[in-house]
Amino acid sequence: MVSVTIKNLTKKYGETVAVKDLNLEIKDQEFFILLGPSGCGKTTTLLCIAGLLKPDEGEVWLGNELVSSSGRDMHVTPQKREVAMMFQDYAIYPHMTVFKNIAFPLEVRGKDKREIVERVTTTAKLLGISQLLDRKPKQLSGGQRQRVALGRAIVRKPRVFLLDEPLANLDAKLRVKTRTELKELQRKLGVTTVYVTHDQVEAMTMADRIIVQRDGVTEQIGTPDELYNRPANLFVAGFIGSPEMNFTDCTLIKDGKKLWLDAKEFKIPVPAEIVPKLESYVGEDVIMGIRPEDLYEREFVKEGTQKNAFRMTVDIIEHVGPYLLLYLRKGRLSLVARVKHTKAGVGQEASIEMDLSKIHLFDKKTTKAIL
Amino acid sequence: MRFPKLGRVTLYILLIFFIFAFLLPLWTCITTSFKTLKGVIDTTPVEPPLGPLFRLPYPTMEPLITAFNIMKRSLLNSFTFTVAAMILSCLLGSINGYILTKITFKGSNTVFLFFTIGIFIPYQAVLVPLVLTMSKLGLYNHLGGLILTHTAYGIPITTLLFRNFYGLIPNSLIMAAKTDGAGTWTIYRRIVLPLSLPPFVVAAVFQFTSIWNDFLFGVVLTRGQNQPASVVLANLKGTTTVMWNLLMGGTLWYALPVLVIYLVLGKYLMRGYMAGAVKG
Amino acid sequence: MRFPSRKVFMKDWMVTSLFLLLSLVLVGYFVYVCIGWNVIVSLSDWKGLTPSYNIAGFDQYLSLFHDQVFLTSLKNNLILILLFVPGSLFLGLFLAILLDLKVRGEGAFRSIYLLPFALSFVITATLWAWMYNLDVGVINTLLEKIGLGFLRPMWVADPNIAMYCVVLALIWQFSGYTMLIFLGGIRSIPESQIRAAEVDGASGFDLYRYVVIPQLKAPALSAFIVLMVFALKAFDFIYILTGGGPGWSTYVLALMMFKETFRKNQFAYGGAIATILFLLALVIVVPYLYLSFRREKE
Ligand SMILES: Nc1ncnc2c1ncn2[C@@H]1O[C@H](COP(=O)(O)OP(=O)(O)O)[C@@H](O)[C@H]1O
Ligand SMILES: [Mg+2]
Repeated sequence: MVSVTIKNLTKKYGETVAVKDLNLEIKDQEFFILLGPSGCGKTTTLLCIAGLLKPDEGEVWLGNELVSSSGRDMHVTPQKREVAMMFQDYAIYPHMTVFKNIAFPLEVRGKDKREIVERVTTTAKLLGISQLLDRKPKQLSGGQRQRVALGRAIVRKPRVFLLDEPLANLDAKLRVKTRTELKELQRKLGVTTVYVTHDQVEAMTMADRIIVQRDGVTEQIGTPDELYNRPANLFVAGFIGSPEMNFTDCTLIKDGKKLWLDAKEFKIPVPAEIVPKLESYVGEDVIMGIRPEDLYEREFVKEGTQKNAFRMTVDIIEHVGPYLLLYLRKGRLSLVARVKHTKAGVGQEASIEMDLSKIHLFDKKTTKAIL
Repeated sequence: MRFPKLGRVTLYILLIFFIFAFLLPLWTCITTSFKTLKGVIDTTPVEPPLGPLFRLPYPTMEPLITAFNIMKRSLLNSFTFTVAAMILSCLLGSINGYILTKITFKGSNTVFLFFTIGIFIPYQAVLVPLVLTMSKLGLYNHLGGLILTHTAYGIPITTLLFRNFYGLIPNSLIMAAKTDGAGTWTIYRRIVLPLSLPPFVVAAVFQFTSIWNDFLFGVVLTRGQNQPASVVLANLKGTTTVMWNLLMGGTLWYALPVLVIYLVLGKYLMRGYMAGAVKG
Repeated sequence: MRFPSRKVFMKDWMVTSLFLLLSLVLVGYFVYVCIGWNVIVSLSDWKGLTPSYNIAGFDQYLSLFHDQVFLTSLKNNLILILLFVPGSLFLGLFLAILLDLKVRGEGAFRSIYLLPFALSFVITATLWAWMYNLDVGVINTLLEKIGLGFLRPMWVADPNIAMYCVVLALIWQFSGYTMLIFLGGIRSIPESQIRAAEVDGASGFDLYRYVVIPQLKAPALSAFIVLMVFALKAFDFIYILTGGGPGWSTYVLALMMFKETFRKNQFAYGGAIATILFLLALVIVVPYLYLSFRREKE
């Protein structure tokens, strides 16, 4: 098990820049997730780690072994990297039985028969597919194919797992179940894992750390907690969390010693502790973000939060599990609030408060977080 | 689709008329090869070899037997070099197709173009150098020479056929095998080759028929004992002016392997034609 | 730390590429080197059985254009291009449309129409020699049966019509192929489009004329190229059916090249004909390959 280090990686397909100047340090045994909308270069990054693509620029290290370097013009072939990759379409060899599929990496390495049988059997047991070993891929369901691909990846005890959207082709229920199983399996095997997904919920629930990519560019790297609570920019703030964070344009105005965020429909005081950081933005346009769960209906506000209420019309109420989603409107401003209870009905006005310690502010020009 | 103006009856009459038109030469070939010489003169070619009221002794195996004795050596020659060149050109075409689709390298398109042009050249443009080369190699008038020739000129078309097919194998399969530790050659042998039965049948059927059907290379590269069946049959036609039953018997023998293949594996031959493979 | 070299990566690929190399050498030699060599022969003064490579420049080419046989050959190739190519295309298209009309036993019809194309030219030429035979041949005895015996055309023995007899037989052999290509093209038109056209009121011939046939450009082009190339290099069939005769009335370029080279030992002269043949083929094939390569890239 090794760490994975990527330095200044750039990969182009002709004119398209798929990955641009990527820097990553993935720790040994870490569950690391590449997250981003489709087409942002996640698969390309994995292929570069696997050695299936040769980077145009930059270096890839596995532990302290340099495996790709554009500077030295060197490239260790995927065969010699001892990393396992699982492909989005699973890439199961259609002419081989499940047993043969899982045994393939061992056979190629010239392991002896007895060891192969033993390791394949153990792996199959671990994944609960022992009864499928004699089947051909055609006779398998989607979930079973996914297991076979996984089995082929873990049977040879690789240094790194590379998983490309392994759950994307499963139905919703199986996906949720497999998520926890996969996470548990990774912990048990202790193999450094690089996992690709475009599903932020999946990323948030499984990852030790996440990198958010967009159009080949890194937006932020951090733990799920960091990404959620301290998004580095507007894109990450909007991409992570469901329902999405509310955004609204504001102007920072100074009134004596106090700073105010003026959004036309409402005006809220900036908490004293962050005022110093905002001095330079006075008079400027900023974007304020607030997550739906940080909005409350007045009657149910907890003690101690700073109060400042404004009245909004409830357009729609949606029931989501134990919560209610209120779609609120006032003038051109619309917000979504996630609450436990509401007194207001559809079409009525509710008195809404926000948790001022939870607001996010972004520079309107750079879209970077100010706080 | 409906064709209101043209009645169904007319349609089938047309279709059956074309059946007659397309089969007439072949049918008369079969009838004639079972006739005595007298039968050839007394009856029209379309009639079966029975004669009026089934009494005259027109039906005979004589022409077929004589023709077989004339042709048997050459049929064996044809069979030998056809099968050998078919196997070699299919194997090479398969490996080329694999490399051209699954291993990206600079100039792979140029290499493909290099092969593709070979499909269309008129062989007249290479005949003299070909004969000189074969003499130098000691392969003139030698089945080995025909094997080499047909293999070399078969590579372009087999490469095209396999390349088209291998384009349909997902790249992820190849990439998975690479990370599993398989090298280029192992991937070919263990992944690509086992998935290649359909293109191998298509390429083999196409190659067999076109090599078997060849006349030009046979006539310039061999003489006497080593001639292929096509050349021997052409000579037979050149030397007999009246023995039509014998000639038709020879034709039937020479056509037989292709007819059998056409009956059994015709759909693969059609796939080859549709993929752009056409005889030279 | 280890720094595996680039060589490791290269070696693996070298093993497989040995086979590619073998193919490249074979095709390179037997196609490209041989063509080049033939061009050199055509520029030499080689006559007779001993090779001679004294440069004679374009003498052979110049004398070709004063050679009546060469001009006749060119004319006959042109006849093939003007009659055989469109003839096969139209008959093939016609057969394809017939078979597209929900015909019972379509597969059997298709196989029978295509059968002549699968047969060797040696066979079809022998069969057509039998068809055209004056005394006991198929066509003339049939004509006699239906009371038209007085016509008794001379067929391939008549220099005025021999070439057209060749064209007829070749159309017979190739229209099954064009039928197959067109049928494939028709079948790849989405059913929904045909339905939509029918809803719009198109039916029968209109449906084919305005909806189906305009979409057959790609198959028509590929069949056209194949037929054109064949019209240039046609050899075996004519050589066996008529041997170029009567006289040289059915000579074509490939046949003349063969006779000049292998029957008269006029190597340089034959080489010049072969080179012209090759250049004509290039004129047809290169634009086509250029087009299809560009399409593939898109
Ligand atoms: N083989 C390829 N050739 C050309 N462009 C490609 C190829 N593979 C990917 N791309 C492009 O590179 C970008 C990144 O692709 P990819 O890494 O597959 O994204 P993701 O996995 O995040 O969806 C996309 O714009 C995609 O269109
Ligand atoms: Mg992807």
